[in-house]
This record gives sequence, C-alpha cells and structure tokens, in this order.
Amino acid sequence: MLLRLDKRDTRPLHEQVAGAIRRAIAEGECRPGDRLPSARDLSQALDINVNTVLRGLRGLRDEGLLEFRRGRGVTVAEDAEQHSGLRIRVRDLMAEAARLGYSRNDLIEMIKGTR
Amino acid sequence: MKVARWAFAVWTVGTAVLIAALPWAARHRLPDRLATHWGFDGSAPDGSMPLWAACVVPALIWLALCAGVEAARWRAGRDARAATRPWAVAVLPTVGVVIGGVQAAVVRANLDRTDWHQARLSAGWVVASAVAALLAGAGGWLVSTRQRPAGPATAGQDGHGPRLELPEGERVVWFSRTTNPWLHLLAAVTGLVAVAALVALVGGLAEPGPAWALFAPCALASLVVAGCASVQARVSEHGLEVSFGPLGWPVRRWTPDAVESARVENRTPTQVGGWGYRLSGLGTTVMLRAGECLVIRARGRRTDFALSVDDAERGAALLNTLRARQAR
Repeated sequence: MLLRLDKRDTRPLHEQVAGAIRRAIAEGECRPGDRLPSARDLSQALDINVNTVLRGLRGLRDEGLLEFRRGRGVTVAEDAEQHSGLRIRVRDLMAEAARLGYSRNDLIEMIKGTR
Repeated sequence: MKVARWAFAVWTVGTAVLIAALPWAARHRLPDRLATHWGFDGSAPDGSMPLWAACVVPALIWLALCAGVEAARWRAGRDARAATRPWAVAVLPTVGVVIGGVQAAVVRANLDRTDWHQARLSAGWVVASAVAALLAGAGGWLVSTRQRPAGPATAGQDGHGPRLELPEGERVVWFSRTTNPWLHLLAAVTGLVAVAALVALVGGLAEPGPAWALFAPCALASLVVAGCASVQARVSEHGLEVSFGPLGWPVRRWTPDAVESARVENRTPTQVGGWGYRLSGLGTTVMLRAGECLVIRARGRRTDFALSVDDAERGAALLNTLRARQAR
C-alpha cells in the first residue's frame, strides 16, 4: 500500500496520519481484512513519533475503519472502503463550511433542515 | 547457445555410450553375472546383474537423469534456462563422472573372476571417482559462470525502470508484505516436534542421544522456516527495508543511493530453486510465492536481490523516484 503525507499540511500530525490511511482505504490501497503495517513500522517510515501514529490509528478505530486485534495487529474493518469515502467527504464538507464562516452547529442545523 | 546444445547432446550420449560399452568391452574377462552391489563392510557383494543389464541399467539411469534435468529447465521457461545453466553444467558432469567411475570400479572388481561372489570392490576407486566428480562439477561451474551471457538478470542496470509521479513536498511511503501459509505450517510442525523432543528429554522419557538429534535440527528448521514464512518490505525516504519473520527481524536495509536500479520481474520457485531465502544464478531471491517480485540491483554488486511481494511495480517505481530525487 502507498501512503501519502503532504509536508506543507498544517493540521496536527495524528490527523495527517489518519487522513493518509483513510485515503488509502478509500482508494482501495488496503482492503477489508488486510493487515496494516505495525505502528512502529509506520512511525519509522514516516518519521513520526510512534505515539502520534498510535493516536491516529485509534481515531480510525473509533470511526470503525480499523480493528485492533490481539496477536493479529491492526486490520482494515469490513466495509471500511465505503465508510472511509463518506468520512472523507464529511471532513471536506466541514473544511469548506469553516472556510465560508459556518460553525459546526450551523452545518448540523443545515443538515437537519435538509429534506 | 547452439554450441552449448551440441555440447550437452554430445556429453549426454557420449557418457551413456561409455557407461554401456565399458563392461561390454571387457566381456571376455568377466563372469556371466556381475557383482553390482556391496555392503558397507567392504567384503562380499550382495547384489548382481547379468552382463547386459550391467551395461544398460546405469546408462539408462544416466539418460533419464539428463532428460529430467533438461525437461525441468524447459518447463521453467526461457529466463530460468539461462539462470539455471550454471547448475546444469555443474551437476551433469558431476553425476556423469560418478556413474562412469562407479561403472569402472564395478568392471574392475569383476575382472578375471569366474563367479560374482568373489568380486571385491576397492574403496580407492570409489573415492577417486568421487574426487574426480567434484572436480568436474567445479570445472563446469567455473566455465559456465565465467561466460555467462548478459541475460535478463542484468537488464535495467543503466538506472532505468519504472518511475512514480511524486509531487514536491509530498512524503510517500510504500508497504507490502507476503506470507506463505504452508511455510508457517511447516514451521509449526517442526517446532512442535522440537518441543516434544525437549519435553521427552527433560522428562527422561527418551535417550539423550536421539532426543538431542531430533530436537536440534527441528528447532533450527522451525526458526529458519518461520523466518522465511513471512516478509515485510517498505520503501521510504530511508530507502528499502526488508524484514523477515513474525518479529520483523532480521532486517536488510538499502539507502536510496545504495540502490542502482529497481524493477519488477516474474519469478517462480523452479527458477530460483525452491521457496525461502534462495541463492541462484539470478542472485538472491526471497521466494514466498510464484509471480511478481521486486528486484533491486545494489550499487557495486553484480547480482540482484529479489523479493516476492505484491504491488512490486509501485515499490520499484517509488524507490527509483526517491533515488533520482536524492541524486539531484
């Protein structure tokens, strides 16, 4: 699998790591059930502290994209492809809303009001 | 190549004729049945054949062996033929000289005997033919590796190969891993045997001698096979890192500037001589399954390092791109 990180990105590093893996899952770089490289491998390859990588991975687990399994490491969850695509679009929407001056609550209200 | 084919044919047929003709030429001084098999104590023979069989059987064994080697090489494909040539050129003369030497020793042992039970094999002849065989094999190996043609193994040496579109300011890393479940199973089974032997040894259920003899090779085999059963590769700005086994150790590393070129090749276990960590005419291959392999040529080396991993195309492309970028 190929992971891409933008060096000019100003977001926190753990978000960048999560973003790179989310994108890799959405693009089919790794399929459901595939084992992810270990956090130590990721941290060495990306030159990022291992705790930062783990924080990113935990965030993805909470989103339901990854599963942590004892003895099997970190694997991609079932249906993660579609989920990660949706997650990426939600984040893009939030970023666009923030750029236009809408708060999170504005966005939530907007979604609630949409029929 | 044509000369090589003729040399092979002449060597095969010539050796077969020689093996068959040797007893036939001496038939007037030989008994009706020839002693052909001796026990280890070096005394009376325990097996015999009629003269015609003593002529034909060793020659047939030799021909079948040659046919088998050649058939295997043809089946493996064009690339493999070039790669396995040194092996064939080393192994066939060795075997030919062994069979020829044994045949000569058999004829000599039976010479001027009236009955095959009187025949005695002299150990000197057997040792001499073994030494001659080793020399023949070494000679064949040297000759064939010296004049090795510039085959596909040296292609891509000029630093070309796949490249990846890499925007400035983007950090890209590539990961891949391969596991071979059969090797895992083999490691588990040998490990289990080793543990059983150890338990029997500690519990006093078995003699120390056989138990150790069982434990040591099985434990070693289990560790080695487990180390070769899975392999992880990653390409980053640090270069290529290949780690073996479930613990990710040992590790082999190449920085981007230590790599001359990277490319993809399809390789099969028959080409490289089996599964696991293989040294062959194609260089070093970590073979876990047939198919796509990431192949690199390290700077200053004449042979390649290959690794059977999926998605090798992009791994090679990224490695080439990083190398070119760092060279700038």
